[in-house]
Amino acid sequence: MTRIGVYVCHCGLNIAGVVDVAKVADYAKGLPDVAVARHYAYMCSEPGQRMIQDDIKAHKLDRIVIATCSPRMHEETFRKAVAEAGLNPYLVEIVNLREQVSWPHAHEPEKATEKAKALVRMGVARAELLEPLEKRKVSVEKNVLVVGGGIAGIEASLDLADAGFKVYLVEKAPSIGGRMAQLDKTFPTLDCSACILTPKMVDVAKHPNVTLLTNSEVADVKGFVGNYEVTVAKKPRYVDETKCVGCELCVGVCPVKVPDKFNEKLTQTHAICIYSSHAVPKVAIIDPSHCLRLKTKKKEVCGKCLEACEAKAIDFEQKPQKIKLKVGGVVVAVGSEVFDASEMAEFGYGRFKNVISNIEFERISDASGPTGGKIVSPQSGQAPKAIAFIQCVGSRDKRFHEYCCRVGCMVALKQAILAREKLGDGVAIYVCYIDLRSFGKGYEEFYTRARDLDVNFVAGVPSEIHGASDGSLYFDVFDKGTNKLLEIRADLVVLANGLVPSADIARINELFHASRSADGFLLEAHPKLRPLESSTAGIFLAGACQAPKDIPDTVAQASGAAAKLVDLLSSGEIELEPLKAVVDEELCSGCRICESVCPFLAVEMKSEKADGEEKVTAEVIEEMCQGCGACASACPTGAIQMKHYTGKQVLVQVQAACAGAEAKGKGGS
Amino acid sequence: MGLTDLMSMAKPNLESREKILRKLRGRELINCFQCIKCTSGCTALKLLELKPHEIEKLVNFGFVDELAASDIIWTCVTCLKCVQRCPQKASPYHVIVALRNLAVEREAKVPEAFMKAVSQILETGLAEAYQKVTTRKMEACDRESLKLPKIPAPKEGFQAVFLKALEER
Repeated sequence: MTRIGVYVCHCGLNIAGVVDVAKVADYAKGLPDVAVARHYAYMCSEPGQRMIQDDIKAHKLDRIVIATCSPRMHEETFRKAVAEAGLNPYLVEIVNLREQVSWPHAHEPEKATEKAKALVRMGVARAELLEPLEKRKVSVEKNVLVVGGGIAGIEASLDLADAGFKVYLVEKAPSIGGRMAQLDKTFPTLDCSACILTPKMVDVAKHPNVTLLTNSEVADVKGFVGNYEVTVAKKPRYVDETKCVGCELCVGVCPVKVPDKFNEKLTQTHAICIYSSHAVPKVAIIDPSHCLRLKTKKKEVCGKCLEACEAKAIDFEQKPQKIKLKVGGVVVAVGSEVFDASEMAEFGYGRFKNVISNIEFERISDASGPTGGKIVSPQSGQAPKAIAFIQCVGSRDKRFHEYCCRVGCMVALKQAILAREKLGDGVAIYVCYIDLRSFGKGYEEFYTRARDLDVNFVAGVPSEIHGASDGSLYFDVFDKGTNKLLEIRADLVVLANGLVPSADIARINELFHASRSADGFLLEAHPKLRPLESSTAGIFLAGACQAPKDIPDTVAQASGAAAKLVDLLSSGEIELEPLKAVVDEELCSGCRICESVCPFLAVEMKSEKADGEEKVTAEVIEEMCQGCGACASACPTGAIQMKHYTGKQVLVQVQAACAGAEAKGKGGS
Repeated sequence: MGLTDLMSMAKPNLESREKILRKLRGRELINCFQCIKCTSGCTALKLLELKPHEIEKLVNFGFVDELAASDIIWTCVTCLKCVQRCPQKASPYHVIVALRNLAVEREAKVPEAFMKAVSQILETGLAEAYQKVTTRKMEACDRESLKLPKIPAPKEGFQAVFLKALEER
């Protein structure tokens, strides 16, 4: 005999506005073994929780059913509350009356009340069979992995390293720095991007707690929160990092020219090069797809860099390396990519030389870029006389990406201001926009500053861009403000290309089981209450891999994710949920179906000899099991059961649901 | 309560709006955020002052009766640039066609050219009569002189089917 307490929550009017909560509570009183049934405005509030705790003592309750919002919201809250009253926290059953009843059935209050009764009946039936469970503690690795060496990865690494954790910072490119390293100035303060980023790049490389793995990618991930085993694939540089001094003698002699990725392919570099002028590590790298010797695999070919290198750092024999790491948690900070506007035929990107992307403008405007910071029209190499910025390219566009890129407006304002400052009053500047969004701290003031500098804002975007034979461009645009169709002629058009999820995000999704949202970015565990966590325990998100972000938001999220990891790992041990699969060896036939369906590789087969016969049975590695239940539903003999969701505990709910349907059928006939 | 156009003192007619939405099978085609891209590129803007973004917004507000009675909806030359390039997959073109249909239902005056096209289709099955053209050497030629095959006349019963289809719209 159990003694069950049932509590129906009003959730203000969220539930009570639709469901007749008093009726549901009354109905619950009549259910078997229910000793107390009550309803209250906010069960999650302090008086609500105290009501349950008092009842547990006064009525000697040993099972609690709470009919309220989704268990994702407050199951943990109520478990803690009953634990404080001395009851095992796993003897609480949550019935979801909000997301599953009042919200979807708002227009049918009577039927909703009937459904609420049925769900409560099912919850009570299940509660009777609940068993007390204990959380387990496991020790954790105090090392952490940071994937991606942009400003997000650098910031998270520095915070974690300063907190005493050993950090492995993995970067795909030959240098850390990421997207921010390509920028000229930053909005809304016009700080030089290199001036604020470079010192951090150097700090993270020099930090005694940070191991920098550039030109490397995560290849494999095993394990679970607190105890991940990660394999990092380090590609060969063909240059010994410990010997290279970054003198660039080799670059001067290399005969092969290659488009310069760091400069958005606006210029060329060589098959052996240093990634950028402020690369960290400042070490040369050979591109094996262009180097004559590596391409032909012949020892007598070229080798000019080998001769030129005084430090004897060139090593054509370098092989890919696999590095195994043990880490307790991970910060994913792989960033995003810039939309490729050649997908959008009407603006002629890729067809007209003078139509460029906003990231290309950054390189042209940057002192370390291909023009030494002189803003020019690519076709003529001369300073432009009129510049037009076109906003929302590839973003806010259902044909490409529906979301707002969140940086395009401010980038255009910044670039317009830079153009005015560098080119003086002689240049005409137009910004064609749909909505101008200047939402951040100091951003609206920045917009005012742009207007003060005679930047013309046109409320409307063009349908297409035409090119004249002299390389100048012209387009029609209708301006909402004046109700006029304007023609704009310009010798430089800058497209506000949005940010899009990178190919790396798909890899991260596979490697870490971190879910993605519909827009392709990585999905946070809860949009408001858990914005720094992924859907997988121990995997945290920072920067533009989670959603398009500017630098202030990226740095804030990176520090937040680092703090979350410190919180998770600092005590040296973590608690694991007891919701795991268990195997009844008597029933197990060794068919291996469970092994094949487990997405976490948590089932292993073991063989034992008994009475001269070999018996193969499944075994669950408890630390790896995430409690998803795939094995339990696939097992043909019922040998694998999920704790807290056993076959009996589920079936009794089904029976309770059917019992209600039968009673109704009889009543009707 | 609600909106009033103070220039004409007109009020929105939500029933007419509902009619248009039914013709458009939902509101996706008027889900416009006024980027003005359609009007910037509209072929009928410079000469005929058609502003597709305005039509989207007026239908959204419910000023449908004024549009259905206006001349402006007959100026669209159906180049479909607005359909191709709309970032919101809204479609001023489809909205304009729905308004034209509503106008015909209400027996509004339809421009002559359109009526001519309809009678042309009834007679020959073609929206446009085939024409003689003049070459650069100023020689007039038609299908016959170019030895192109004759265009067959519509099958028997075509007129009845066509008229019935028009009615069902």
